[in-house]
Amino acid sequence: MQLLKKLKKASPGWFLLTVGIIILLLIPNLNIIINLFGEAGENWEHVRNYLLVNYFQNSLILVLATGLLAAFLGAGLAWVIAAYNFPGRDFLSWGLILPLAIPPYIGAYVYQGMFSYTGPLQTFLRNKFQLRLSQQYFDFMNIRGAIFIYTIFLFPYVFLMTRAFLSKQSASLLESSRLLGKSDNTIFFKIILPLSRGAVVAGSSLVMMEVLNDYGVVKYFGISTFTTAIFKSWFGMGDLPTSVRLAVMAMLVIFVVLFIEKLLRGGRKYSYSTSNIRPVSRRKLEGSRKVLAQLFTYGVFFFGFLLPTVQLLYWSFLSRGGGLMETLHFAFTSFLTGGGAAVLILTGAVIIATTARMSSNFVSNLLARITILGYSIPGAVIAVGVLLFMLQLDGVLSFLQTGFGIEANVVLSSTLVMLIFAYAVRFMGIAFNSVNSGYEKIGESYFEASRTLGKGVTETFFKIDLPMLKPALMSGFLLVFIEIMKELPLTMILRPFNFDTLATKAFEYASDEMIYRAADLSLVLIFFSAAAIYLITHHRRRKNNAVRN
Amino acid sequence: MQLEIKNLTFAYNKKEANIVDNFNLEVKKGEVVALVGASGSGKSTVLRLTAGLEIPDSGKISIAGQTVAGDHKFRAAEKREVGMVFQDYALFPHLSVEKNIGFGIDHLSKSKRKARVKELLKLVNLEGFEKRYPHQLSGGQQQRIALARTLAPGPKLLLLDEPFSNLDAELKDKIRGELNQIIKEIGVTTILVSHDREDAEFMQAREIIMN
Repeated sequence: MQLLKKLKKASPGWFLLTVGIIILLLIPNLNIIINLFGEAGENWEHVRNYLLVNYFQNSLILVLATGLLAAFLGAGLAWVIAAYNFPGRDFLSWGLILPLAIPPYIGAYVYQGMFSYTGPLQTFLRNKFQLRLSQQYFDFMNIRGAIFIYTIFLFPYVFLMTRAFLSKQSASLLESSRLLGKSDNTIFFKIILPLSRGAVVAGSSLVMMEVLNDYGVVKYFGISTFTTAIFKSWFGMGDLPTSVRLAVMAMLVIFVVLFIEKLLRGGRKYSYSTSNIRPVSRRKLEGSRKVLAQLFTYGVFFFGFLLPTVQLLYWSFLSRGGGLMETLHFAFTSFLTGGGAAVLILTGAVIIATTARMSSNFVSNLLARITILGYSIPGAVIAVGVLLFMLQLDGVLSFLQTGFGIEANVVLSSTLVMLIFAYAVRFMGIAFNSVNSGYEKIGESYFEASRTLGKGVTETFFKIDLPMLKPALMSGFLLVFIEIMKELPLTMILRPFNFDTLATKAFEYASDEMIYRAADLSLVLIFFSAAAIYLITHHRRRKNNAVRN
Repeated sequence: MQLEIKNLTFAYNKKEANIVDNFNLEVKKGEVVALVGASGSGKSTVLRLTAGLEIPDSGKISIAGQTVAGDHKFRAAEKREVGMVFQDYALFPHLSVEKNIGFGIDHLSKSKRKARVKELLKLVNLEGFEKRYPHQLSGGQQQRIALARTLAPGPKLLLLDEPFSNLDAELKDKIRGELNQIIKEIGVTTILVSHDREDAEFMQAREIIMN
């Protein structure tokens, strides 16, 4: 009876499927830890003695500085959007999410291109004003430049989370502070910021994980971090044991970040005891304050989306459609891979979330933790783990094949199967979160009503849960899809020979200073991402309106 | 006995005290029983345990002479033939009234199902509402559809969880009268849960105080 109670209403079929998926998700990460105790590679000593400190330093500076700056930028913007009305506010409330559509590695080469000696800015200054400034003013390719790039393209994570939190706060809080004679600045620093600490920290830790995951920006700027080091030891030196050790170190940094997050969020949970929550009524801004708010918000939008996009359009125009067929080809590959993988990942996430819902709190929390783990681990680390796993599987397969005298020569490593599996390990958490929040919104009573009307778990799932989950599935699909489209480190390491996506090809062209060719590919990528963001935000908005009417 | 509960004990969480502690209840066929108590007295939990939505820690539940929980047995909710009207009605929002009511009787042929839905709509006084969707109904109408849906498969037991809590005072009197009439008309064994003793009196139910 007790065991039954723990599993609660989960049927054995669902539970076994879930355990299978969870084990597959865990193996690559466990593999890395086990391999740590194996023999060190030939380059390890050199790396440890001369390079490791540098990797640590660079990674930490990038992560902490970006985390902090993105927190302030994102929270400040969220406050302005949530509390004030000014011309352009409605557009910016989703326009400020658009920087997320530009992967940082694309942003990096665009900014570098703009500021370089032959770029538009310096050319303009030279030709119009005969200005020849020292190149050090335009040097983007350093840590400061990387921090700027990460902040301007990743802050929307903080913005989104903080804004969502603020919109759930009761207006009476803000209004009573105003009635108590506090200025808006005081309210922001004394009430809003402390209250939304949890949301800001959560968003900022997402930003930090993205920074640790990134390969493109640091590689392009020539900054050594754990990710680039893993690449170098694997591709450059073919030294898998050394990349494994580096991967473990990178995981350590992640655990530090997660620990700091826990610490900062604290045990305190601020939430409302009343159910009477009105949205904040926004104050209309006039005069200089209006101009200031517009300068701030439009300024961020300009640098985070408009400027790089216009620059890309200009470059693309200069290339005069030279690589049109090629662009279509890579767009097609990306679309197919991303779409197919997203469907598979979402299916897995639905199975896990459905089982979690039917299990006790302990089991469902455990399932959630494991599923989300992959998203906090850098892509390069997962790639190493998946690679190890697939090599082991190939060993087993070849043993079986020779054992049974089959000459099929099936291998998994360096195939699309391996890449898609790695995507699943990394992005299952995103899909799971979407499905899970969908389930939370639906509640349990529909499920229970169906059960008391004589339908089993599986029949209820297909007839009731699945149709009601549709919006959550839609946004989960879109989120995973754009993540895969933009993904770089996993794809670079694990892709099959001669396989390229928009992301890898754009990065390759940019690295080879073929920015015109890279521009076309980048624009397609940005267009799809922006469209997905538009669909997700506007779908939600429509639903909110429907509820209000 | 239509329902027999012996020494039923249950806690949602091991760290918390038992919300249902050694509870006993016998309900005769056709009887209407009201469990009355403040919130947290475990009255709704008894309903959930009876329906098979929760698994008891110990004790025994029998419905129409068959053990459904206890003695190392546990019969899942969908196999108990127990109908429950939820506090928030839980009408499936993506299905029409007709499909909601027909949900539990899809083993019947299409024509028989249609006839049964019609019969039930007549019972709850909402004839002609087949094609509507839940969000197009008022609160009182939603409750009556939920009742019709629950009664459609002909359950051995009807469980009503706080059936009047979502209704305003004026509507409440009317609904209580209607509900009472419907239950008496079909003679279904009923257990209802309420925090208000007046509900029990109005429904002419045997009152059981829980605390």
